[in-house]
Amino acid sequence: MVGPEIHFENVKKRFDSVTAVEAFSATFKAGQTTALVGPSGCGKSTVLRLIAGLTGPDEGTVRLGSEVPAQVARRGALAVAFQDPSLLPWRTVRSNIALGAELARKPSDHVDTLIELVGLGGFADHRPAELSGGMRQRAAIARSLVSQPEILLLDEPFGAVDAITRRRLNTDLPPLWRDRGTTVALVTHSVEEAVLLSDRVLVLSDRPASVLADIATAPGVPRDSAYRASDTFRELSDRIFEALETGAVG
Amino acid sequence: MIWFVRVLGICLFLVAWEFAARGVPGSVLIAGPSEIAEHIQSEFALYTRAAFATSVNAGLGFVFGNLAAIVLAVIMIVVPKSARLLSAFALLLFCIPLIASGPILRVLFGPGEGPQITLAALAVYYTTLLALLVGLRAVSQNWTDFMAVYGRHPLSTLRYVRARASLPYLFVGLQISAPASFLGAMIGEFTGAERGLGVLTLRAMRGLETEATWALAIISASIAMMAYALLGLLGRRLVGYTPVILLSAPQGQPTQNLWMRVAEMAFIVGAVLAIWQISMDVSGLNRFFAKRPGDVFVFLAESENLATVLSALSETLGSALPGYLAGLGLGAALAAALILAPSLGQVALPVAVALRAVPIITTAPLLVLAFGRGIVGTTVVVAVMIFFPTLVACGQGLRQTPGQIVELFRSYGASKWQTLIKAQLPAMLPAFFASARMAVPAALLAVTTVEWLATGQGLGMLMAMTASTSNYNMLWSCVAVIALAASAIYACVAMIERRILRVYASEQLS
Ligand SMILES: Nc1ncnc2c1ncn2[C@@H]1O[C@H](COP(=O)(O)OP(=O)(O)O)[C@@H](O)[C@H]1O
Ligand SMILES: [Mg+2]
Repeated sequence: MVGPEIHFENVKKRFDSVTAVEAFSATFKAGQTTALVGPSGCGKSTVLRLIAGLTGPDEGTVRLGSEVPAQVARRGALAVAFQDPSLLPWRTVRSNIALGAELARKPSDHVDTLIELVGLGGFADHRPAELSGGMRQRAAIARSLVSQPEILLLDEPFGAVDAITRRRLNTDLPPLWRDRGTTVALVTHSVEEAVLLSDRVLVLSDRPASVLADIATAPGVPRDSAYRASDTFRELSDRIFEALETGAVG
Repeated sequence: MIWFVRVLGICLFLVAWEFAARGVPGSVLIAGPSEIAEHIQSEFALYTRAAFATSVNAGLGFVFGNLAAIVLAVIMIVVPKSARLLSAFALLLFCIPLIASGPILRVLFGPGEGPQITLAALAVYYTTLLALLVGLRAVSQNWTDFMAVYGRHPLSTLRYVRARASLPYLFVGLQISAPASFLGAMIGEFTGAERGLGVLTLRAMRGLETEATWALAIISASIAMMAYALLGLLGRRLVGYTPVILLSAPQGQPTQNLWMRVAEMAFIVGAVLAIWQISMDVSGLNRFFAKRPGDVFVFLAESENLATVLSALSETLGSALPGYLAGLGLGAALAAALILAPSLGQVALPVAVALRAVPIITTAPLLVLAFGRGIVGTTVVVAVMIFFPTLVACGQGLRQTPGQIVELFRSYGASKWQTLIKAQLPAMLPAFFASARMAVPAALLAVTTVEWLATGQGLGMLMAMTASTSNYNMLWSCVAVIALAASAIYACVAMIERRILRVYASEQLS
């Protein structure tokens, strides 16, 4: 089942004195992966929190298909992996990951497959305190995937993961959500990662965040090492960097 | 090695004690360890039975009181709107000294174990409630967000996150509860039980039996300390660590407007009166001893009665004040001194933590024996009751001064003394005032207990007398007045606290 489209209509969000998001209109297409890139502190996490319904907009609307975020959440069809893995310290890795399925009221039969896939095979019975920061993040990613959500929100999910593992995860994980037609919003600091993993890249302005550029990456091209080495890949990266720089100057 | 030193220390202490006792032959003050041991041996069966009876009542009270605390804490977390009101009620109940609720419960329950168990429960519910609330609320937003993403709300967060995250805090509360429940049970026994350590203590006090008083103090203190140590061990085994928390009711928002505060207060007072009235009516207890608010009002409206109660109250407050101030002052001063001499602190603080757990009831008779039945004896009992918790809390407060601030002072070449005055004492203030608030009911409990047991003055004596005179109007009036006075003093201390913290530690007021 394909995940719903995410639609922002003229959204504004303030925190006390700072306006994090203003005049924000964007569509995250159904079943696609949309990457958000922008200067740090511009409001990317706030956009994800708005999608998850963790905070409501001051003005404008956020719709997930025909529903509001809270309705999708209640169905157990949402999942997130935040920057902070926030695993429960008293649970083992396996039971932390299984918690994602339990809370969403979904079967947890592929927990062990996911543990292998994120490379935590030998650590299933360890507690979070015994893992490195990168390993904890991978456990949090597995937890977000285990409930097979319709909407998946990833906030710098690989930030603390070492370069080699990150490269491997960049190839191994995306099929999991691509093949199931999950609608994904991915925040990343790495422009290459955005081009590699997403169907579209939204370049955001400095705070308050609004959309500076909406760039479609190569549709239908397999995300393999040939793509990574191609001219298209480099061109797309350059266009995103350019958009980011104009935003920073203007 | 450390064990060897400790055992040696204990042996030396016992020898010195023995010599002191022998050096003053016929003293009513000191009984030597050998005499006490002999005495316990000769009365072994009696003491075992009494200890068993008291332990059972304390244990039941421990269970009921802590269950009540857990239920109350859960309600306050799940229905946050109820929290303000419920915590006000819980505090008000906590402000009534056990020695005042004891006789009332005896009257309501009649003979039997009811009052002992209820008092034990009353002695424990509040600290557990405070500790548990800290634990239940100490949950990061990341976790509550995580639950919300799956559309799961307060109850699930309670079940999956808060319940487990608060366990270490619950154990802090349970550990402190163990000796407190013993104290509650013994006070219940003072009010006219058939058996138990409290009954024997009362008898030994009245008969000036030195050896028996010592023996009972040692037995009851040991049981209480053992329960304390056992729960500490259990907590460390089960949850791994013991968090450092300040056990004190949180301060309300100071910015609220005056009329709202007055209205809230009026509502609470009205609700308490209504609960009192309705519970008496519903339980259908005889009006002869189960007095209603109206009875108390009519009774106190007579100027003669009012004068009696008020003069007893002023006697009680007057003899509590020196001990209250001395206990707080000495506790804070020693905590500060221990910072200046850190190696001493490492030895003294654990001892203080342990001594804090000795229930005052067990030591009060000894202190009265030692310091007499006058103001000195009373002051010492009150001061001791307050001293240890204050020392522990202030010591913890001082240690929590951020290391960087201390280092900053050092880098400017400030002396230890200057660092203490400028950086560490302000950091200690919140802990100090928290102790000062919690010490109000404690001081009143200590002073009324001494009055009841020994000095024959004040409200304690007035309440003790009603047991023989059956002047139940007097009894209920005393309890109402002391509850009112305790709450008023507590509120005054809280107001001073807000004033001072606003200047010296504004970031600590949230
Ligand atoms: N709960 C909050 N309270 C106050 N300010 C906030 C809150 N959340 C975010 N902000 C502010 O909003 C701005 C955007 O934050 P965020 O969305 O986290 O940025 P990004 O993820 O792009 O780094 C920042 O200036 C941040 O300080
Ligand atoms: Mg962010």
